Amino acid sequence: MITMEGKKCYINGIGIISPQRTFDNSEFLPEVRSYDNNILTSVTPDFKAYLSPVQLRRLSRMLRIGMTAATICLNDAGIKVPDGIVTATGYGFLEETEKFLKELLERNEKQLTPTFFMQGTYNALAGLVALSVKCTGYNNTYVSKGFAFENALQDCLLLLNADPGVNLLLGSYDESAAVQYKAGMRENQFKKEPVNSLDIFSNKTDGCIQGEGSAFFDLSGEPSASTWCSVEGIQMIYLPESPDELKETINSFLLKHDVQETNVDLVVSGMSGCKSKDQLLENLERVIFINTPRAYFKHLCGEYCTSTSFGLWLASSILKKQHIPETVKASNHTYPSRIETIFMINHYFNRNYSLILLKRKLEVRS
Amino acid sequence: MSQRVFITGFGIITSVGNNTAENFQSLVKGRCGYGELSILDTIHRTNLPSCEIKLHDDELKKLTGVGDGRGYTRTTLLGLIALQEAISSAGLTNKEVHSSGLLSATTTGGIREFERHFYDLLDLSKEGPFAQFADTANPGEHCERMADKVGIKGYIATISTACSSSANAIIQGAQLISNNLLDVAICGGSEALSKFTINGFNSLMIVDAEHCRPFDNTRMGLNLGEGAAYIVLESEASLSRRSKTPIAELKGYGNANDAFHQTASSPEGTGALHAMKQALDSANVSPLDIDYINAHGTATENNDLSEGNGIQSLFTEKVPYFSSTKPYTGHTLAAAGSIEAVYCLLGLQHQMIWPNLNFQHQMPELSITPVRKLMENVRLKHILSNSFGFGGNTSSLLLASA
Repeated sequence: MITMEGKKCYINGIGIISPQRTFDNSEFLPEVRSYDNNILTSVTPDFKAYLSPVQLRRLSRMLRIGMTAATICLNDAGIKVPDGIVTATGYGFLEETEKFLKELLERNEKQLTPTFFMQGTYNALAGLVALSVKCTGYNNTYVSKGFAFENALQDCLLLLNADPGVNLLLGSYDESAAVQYKAGMRENQFKKEPVNSLDIFSNKTDGCIQGEGSAFFDLSGEPSASTWCSVEGIQMIYLPESPDELKETINSFLLKHDVQETNVDLVVSGMSGCKSKDQLLENLERVIFINTPRAYFKHLCGEYCTSTSFGLWLASSILKKQHIPETVKASNHTYPSRIETIFMINHYFNRNYSLILLKRKLEVRS
Repeated sequence: MSQRVFITGFGIITSVGNNTAENFQSLVKGRCGYGELSILDTIHRTNLPSCEIKLHDDELKKLTGVGDGRGYTRTTLLGLIALQEAISSAGLTNKEVHSSGLLSATTTGGIREFERHFYDLLDLSKEGPFAQFADTANPGEHCERMADKVGIKGYIATISTACSSSANAIIQGAQLISNNLLDVAICGGSEALSKFTINGFNSLMIVDAEHCRPFDNTRMGLNLGEGAAYIVLESEASLSRRSKTPIAELKGYGNANDAFHQTASSPEGTGALHAMKQALDSANVSPLDIDYINAHGTATENNDLSEGNGIQSLFTEKVPYFSSTKPYTGHTLAAAGSIEAVYCLLGLQHQMIWPNLNFQHQMPELSITPVRKLMENVRLKHILSNSFGFGGNTSSLLLASA
């Protein structure tokens, strides 16, 4: 297969609101917050600094979070109006959907107000951001469970391939909705007993902890003064059958992007803390990147469809700040002081696997 | 960079037909799906007639061959019928299906099942057959389930941009092919009627209890509909490998945002204009070369004015024939883009233009008039298909005879 060789994608701005204090880009995990009820919710900034009084009054919690993350990102990139907006979510604005459904059922389909219906639409955030900054360019929203964020990133890479000069706003959002928690309990997605979030990797039980967050990235084919790192490539693998299939795909992915296993300084891994669903990833750790230090992140953000976006923020921060926080170190390796290349692997309930390759921005490229 | 993108097959189910042949007959004969609801359980059965597919879920399960179909929502079942027809019409082998991508669109996924079992599902002390629908408030679920059933592993994506969703699924599939990431992308959308949707649109006061009248001055809103359609997009290399003759070429596309209002379009049709113009520019086709536009034409006061103005500002010299096929199928939301793309492909194949039914009164704001009668033996080479949605999303596809 011919791919987009030599084409670049730079992350030139980030805005992220998550269960950790991440909204201030001048800090990098200044404190680690732990949760003990298996449900992680966002640490939010003072919305007044980012939203208009009308928005503060009208927007749902998740729309406020998403709009604020987008605004922080644009400010970080120094961009007023992006050329396109692509968002991703697994379950969308489920709290709003639930409110509309409840009203509908309780009032027997009579005298309903449209607000919850309108704010429950999956593309409501992409539309709101476009409207707020008057962006009439490309606009799309992916809702593909554990692939939503990856699809959105892939979409952006293709757009940048055709037009490297543009700035694209890539965003994710998912919320720790009570409805999804209950539905997830029926599907054995979450842990049966409460576990401290920081203990999920040693706990060795089935199920994940529920997470949420919204992360926005300004992507461009051109680097800028605010560049965090470059995205070299992405690949999705749907329902891999064995560690060997995954290993082969990883090897050809690295080859395609001209990177050796030994060039990778850090593996950022989406280990979820679910004993049975993490099995494939655990087996993989024994056959590839055996000598590469690893970082885990889902004890910080929980599990949600677009959790890859939290991982991408973590990896970008490590590359930009050249610092690996203690809390994400997950193996006995010696961690490097210089981090040039990061390989990310994530999975969502052992169905949706994705690989992302990131590089530090170099002042001069040979 | 760009590889050309061809169309080698499609499949469709709507309230006017369970497959391509039935839909074609209905288009020719002016048969519409509008009528009282008899399958969906809602208080609006008689006061808000819609375009419903008159098959119960059990009958859909038989048509798709999913056995007892545990966990299959109506959205998934409708999608599967159209997907299976698309695969067989393109003559794809199991191996080719395996490496294909599936890009599907929906606005609500399995909300129809979720709303039916809402209280049971949320009461964790309860057990029962309803539990098979636990994860149906998830729009991506239908796409993975369809992929698993037909054996697609190459690429999986679900798109939801309100009523422009499946047009965007087609656009993204084309992007993946033209960048050499896929040989075959099967793209479209599926939408089942639900109380959620009917009441949502009704609360916005844009549903007409009468049969909808796109571009007519007396229009009062849309009729909702259900259905699914998928289109097989294929690279030139794959075509020659399979020695296939394409049905048509997806020559261009545009995606823009109106950035005017969360649920309304700008009266001057800025987004519509941008999307159509991009489609023309990307195909390197002049406005004079467009022979027909399948309009979004929902029959809401807002859409038809906005879209009409957008068409008038782009086609200053000569306005192409245009019509909305929404009176046939109702507004099938996320599926509308792919259903109407199939209608355009049928138009190209048979050199016919489908009439804009129910049009009688000219809108004073517009100087253009839709096609009112079936047109046969028309020379059709380039067709635009428009799909717009809430959130300001506007998309346009440019289909050309191959």
